[in-house]
Amino acid sequence: MAMSIEEVEAAMIAKATKAPKPQLYIKDFYKCDPDRKPREIKNIANKLVSKGTLMFWSSGSTTMYALPSRIKDEEGDEGIN
Amino acid sequence: MAKHDTPMLDELEKGPWPSFVTDLKRQAETHPDCWDILGQLELSYRDKITHWKHGGIVGVFGYGGGIVGRYSDVPKQFPGVEHFHTVRIAQPSGMYYSSKNLRGLMDLWDKYGSGMTNMHGSTGDMILLGTRTENLEPLFWDLTHDLKQDLGGSGSNLRTPSCCLGESRCEWACYDAQDLCHHLTMHYQDEIHRPAFPYKFKFKFSACANDCVAAIARSDFAVIGTWKDDIQMDQAAVKEYIAGNYPSNAGAHKDGDWGAFDIKKEVIDLCPTECMWMEGDELKIDNSECNRCMHCINVMPRALRPGKEKGATICIGAKAPILDGAQFATMIIPFIKISKESEYEEVIDVIEKIWDWWMEVGKNRERVGETMQRIGLPTFLSVMEVEPIPQHVKEPRSNPYVFWKEEEIPGGWERDVVEFRKKHAA
Ligand code: HEM
Ligand code: HEM
Ligand code: SF4
Ligand code: SF4
Repeated sequence: MAMSIEEVEAAMIAKATKAPKPQLYIKDFYKCDPDRKPREIKNIANKLVSKGTLMFWSSGSTTMYALPSRIKDEEGDEGIN
Repeated sequence: MAKHDTPMLDELEKGPWPSFVTDLKRQAETHPDCWDILGQLELSYRDKITHWKHGGIVGVFGYGGGIVGRYSDVPKQFPGVEHFHTVRIAQPSGMYYSSKNLRGLMDLWDKYGSGMTNMHGSTGDMILLGTRTENLEPLFWDLTHDLKQDLGGSGSNLRTPSCCLGESRCEWACYDAQDLCHHLTMHYQDEIHRPAFPYKFKFKFSACANDCVAAIARSDFAVIGTWKDDIQMDQAAVKEYIAGNYPSNAGAHKDGDWGAFDIKKEVIDLCPTECMWMEGDELKIDNSECNRCMHCINVMPRALRPGKEKGATICIGAKAPILDGAQFATMIIPFIKISKESEYEEVIDVIEKIWDWWMEVGKNRERVGETMQRIGLPTFLSVMEVEPIPQHVKEPRSNPYVFWKEEEIPGGWERDVVEFRKKHAA
């Protein structure tokens, strides 16, 4: 049975909650539903951002995803662009 | 009056060249925050380490790109640069602005930012340097509502596509670069404004091999105009060039003392594929050897023109450093029709084939050119469903092993893995 969008979203939120670092790459979410193409996973992640469940964290040249509660303020710890 | 002592920076005003220090001081007269850029930079020179912090969560609502967050790590000393975010404004196709539009943008930036700009950035956008987080939403509102303009891409987004001025002014254009650029910009709005990939991805469009936007050096996906048939030639005009009646390079070098035009030295001997020669007073070209570099056409524009069967070459995978050093794009598709009637479906097909593969196989922060290098061109060509041709080959192979796939062998072969494993442990 293919996973529903809600199930994929729940798996992504669980992943963002448990991951050792608060910022995740989009690739970190691919395994949340291996049957979906990466571009579908990306669309689901971006939906979660527009709902406010996840947020973007950008270094300038790479954009990552995070749970807002795990990012305290604008203090980025990755000194990379 | 200068707010900080900057003896080291002042050294940079002494040469005969333009100085960003002088520019910043002038700007600081009207935007006092700019004194703090100078102050902080002086401190960085003294400490021999940067005092900028990277990254964060700035942006405007609904967008995941277009603004690059930057902060000072010594904000108490330099409050003017506590926040110093960069804003990218998508440039119009071919960078045509009206002076009214430019004034509007500058007024906007005087109101909400430092007034400092960078035109244009290497991405192609207009770059507005230095503003505070709380100014972003009002700036974005005015930009989109009053000026009807938009932010460009940053981060893991599709970056603002850029193009040469193509058919609007240039007789060498082999396709309508501005229209293709605009079409794909509209088609991929979501990819431009929200992160779409493991890392950045850039399109650039040049309508001939002069490559005025340096697509081949700067873009993951370079579309470079070319032609399939023969260079169009006017032998009478060739004679006029030889007689010195037409200025070479359309007069671009006429002020220098270069002596009389010498077709052998300036054209034939510089043809990279050595496919030109004179027969009596007729110029000959072996078009099957010509690689469409544009050199001869640039020198004698009244005598030579691109062919009539026009389209583009697609080169993939250029990038500037981070992981592996700068690299040019690799020619993948020698000729593709660029057709407005199909709404550029052929080009879009190629783009999405790359994306599907790269998103799956590429590592985090790996540009598609690096993925191609890591996985190898043969695999990439088969992903792209492109038949290898001699022009794909960089050098003769150095390893003697030839691998066949089952479908390449008439009749194929069968291999019973279970049977094999009985004799050979995994
Ligand atoms: C020691 C200081 C710095 C270093 C080593 C550094 C290094 C880099 C590198 C490696 C890139 C990526 C280039 C690429 O696209 O491949 C970059 C991009 C960038 N940097 Fe810096 N940087 C520094 C300071 C700054 C400062 C002070 C600012 C602004 C206040 C800044 C703004 C940017 C911007 C806007 C980009 C483009 C981001 C993008 O790719 O979209 N950088 N920097
Ligand atoms: C000695 C001083 C400087 C030199 C020689 C220099 C040189 C350059 C060059 C060559 C580029 C690439 C331009 C292009 O290809 O479009 C660039 C880009 C850039 N510079 Fe500077 N720069 C200087 C100072 C600054 C300062 C003081 C700032 C900011 C306060 C700054 C911000 C930037 C940014 C943000 C970009 C990237 C624009 C983009 O995203 O494409 N630069 N700089
Ligand atoms: S790239 Fe070629 S077609 Fe485009 S403006 Fe330059 S010379 Fe003209
Ligand atoms: S376009 Fe370049 S390769 Fe072709 S004939 Fe002219 S100089 Fe030679």
